[in-house]
Amino acid sequence: MSHKGLQGGHYRPLSCEQVESLHAAALSVLEKTGFSYEAGLDETLEMMEEFGMRVDRGDSRIYFPREQLMELVSKAPKRVVLYSRDGKNDLYLEDDRVYLGTGGAAIKILDLETGEARHTTLQDLYSLGRLVDQLDNIHFFLRPCIPKDIPEALYDENVFYACLKSTAKHVMAGVNDFDGFHKMMDIASMVAGDLENLKARPFVSVIASFAISPMRLCTHSTRIMLEAVRHQIPVALSCAPMAGVSSPITMAGTLVQTHAEQLAGIAICQMIQPGAAVLYGGIPGRANLWNLGYQGGSVECGMMNAAIHQLADHIKVPNYNSSGLTDAKIPDAQAGWEKAMTTMLAAMGGSNYVHHAAGMLNCMITVAHEQFVIDDEIIGLSCKVLAGIPTDPEHLALDVIDDAARGADFIKSAHTMKYMKTEYFAGNGVTDTKNLDKWINAGSLDAWKRARDIAKKILARSTSDYMPAEIDSAIRKKYDIRL
Amino acid sequence: MSDFVQIAENLVAGNKPRVRELVQLALDQGESAKKILDEGLMKGMGIVGGMMEREEIMIPEVLDVAQFMSHVINEMLKPLLLEGDMNPYGKVVFATVQGDVHDIGKNLVIMMLEGAGFQVIDLGIDVPPDTIVESIRENQPNMLGLSALLTTTMPMIKTTIDHVIDSGLRDQIKILVGGAPVDQEFADEVGADGYAPDASSATQLAKSLAN
Repeated sequence: MSHKGLQGGHYRPLSCEQVESLHAAALSVLEKTGFSYEAGLDETLEMMEEFGMRVDRGDSRIYFPREQLMELVSKAPKRVVLYSRDGKNDLYLEDDRVYLGTGGAAIKILDLETGEARHTTLQDLYSLGRLVDQLDNIHFFLRPCIPKDIPEALYDENVFYACLKSTAKHVMAGVNDFDGFHKMMDIASMVAGDLENLKARPFVSVIASFAISPMRLCTHSTRIMLEAVRHQIPVALSCAPMAGVSSPITMAGTLVQTHAEQLAGIAICQMIQPGAAVLYGGIPGRANLWNLGYQGGSVECGMMNAAIHQLADHIKVPNYNSSGLTDAKIPDAQAGWEKAMTTMLAAMGGSNYVHHAAGMLNCMITVAHEQFVIDDEIIGLSCKVLAGIPTDPEHLALDVIDDAARGADFIKSAHTMKYMKTEYFAGNGVTDTKNLDKWINAGSLDAWKRARDIAKKILARSTSDYMPAEIDSAIRKKYDIRL
Repeated sequence: MSDFVQIAENLVAGNKPRVRELVQLALDQGESAKKILDEGLMKGMGIVGGMMEREEIMIPEVLDVAQFMSHVINEMLKPLLLEGDMNPYGKVVFATVQGDVHDIGKNLVIMMLEGAGFQVIDLGIDVPPDTIVESIRENQPNMLGLSALLTTTMPMIKTTIDHVIDSGLRDQIKILVGGAPVDQEFADEVGADGYAPDASSATQLAKSLAN
């Protein structure tokens, strides 16, 4: 049983006063420091001036007066629905409702047969989509790896094709460029039947890394972000500063800067289309100052990502962020604790759309089929916590206690039969609960090996894919599909 | 006879006033600026590089030492140095490739290269292949450093190298590549001369390629 979309918010690292003060600090950063920008945004700058922002072209800087800014931010919807194709995994992103899934742009995969790292291929992307489609606790499929075996110019059409063929869950990805966005729209429209169907129930969405931290507008991604808004496709406004190198070393400073960057991005989108469906995409992170790596598995990343949800919730915009990152190179114990901690904190924090939560290893460079199976379990456990402990009379079970105290057996009671399969988390089988002898007889398998067996079994099941033949041939006629 | 070892050791330990004193003392004793630079400061920076590689010193501390060393050179030694003394290993053109705006790793490598005796021409971020080729023509470096952080911009390293080949400039330079997703396999694929996983190894590699 999957506990998707439950309310989190049990863990709130910031008090109400702290949220207020960080929000006020971000507004002041936007007024006093503002954003710098790259060349090529002239039209956007003019639009921003019309909405009351102050642009200093000599200094290439945009200042955001707080009243006008917040007026715009308030137009962003408090609820964004990201649809699945079959209606089984629609994501109602609002309040503290929690969904977790995949993410990333890994370039390596631990080969399912050899366990060795090798380059990711388009077939891997498809295979991971098939796996995720059948792992119930993974709620959406954000393209987790790059198809390194095809030319870069063919990435966008092939990535969306492979994702949409592999799973009915919501599909999200970044696009390489403006053209890539339109290729995605075209392919998704063909799958939806037509453009109107797609806009009514967008089962695809895009990521735009519009901000270069600290506080700089990226022309390329800003244009993609605004094009998505114009076409009513939900867009995650990703910005991911690393404390110590692209934001202050302190957690509070990183949160303030991230929040300021998000406020600006959300406001710009609302200028184009009031009510545009956007996700607050602040992902506060931590740099490893020993080697400049990204230390996504640190517990502080879990803390900051829970805090950033509070800041998103403060302005009533659903949020997109990360958990489940690790520095571990293989699915080992370190991967287990880093993922469990950050994913549990993200879920308990109430983050709405948590990507990277399944499959990632090695600082986002590597994925592994086995890790998706293990993370399915970790996500399931984390969401189980959100379900809480029901205490209605049936669950209090006073009659059952009374009967047992008078000689009946709990283990034979109808009450036990009724609840034994629903009261406790039932995983995908990767958690070993056998006794020692049976474990030894089964080959003394560790979690990595058990996960490998499960992944292989799932992939061997013959279930139909999600690309009807006529749509498939129409897409192939128009695009160079390499799958 | 000055104690160059002490200059190096105090630089590594971050004892800034003591380093200045020792450099002044050495100058007063008639030591050549070049010798103070080579056997004192650069030796110290080499030790810092080794510590960085072994993760015994944090990057902000490395940058602090490198910046301080550059102040000492500029303020106390530069007027006494001959052209070429500071850059015995030659010239490197360095860039983050087009489409990629990340420069922290690149800047760290540049600082270490400068600290080790290279002259670096930094073209910045998001640099188109044409600009890189122009800079090679204009500056005649003996090395080119290319950096990318994103898995999605890595292919631009290959595009850039291909462009250098097409321009007929490939034979006159060594090409180094780096960045978080880059590895030796990738470096071989794109036809680079070398790859280093971190700034300190990059410096060693650049030195070996320069010789």
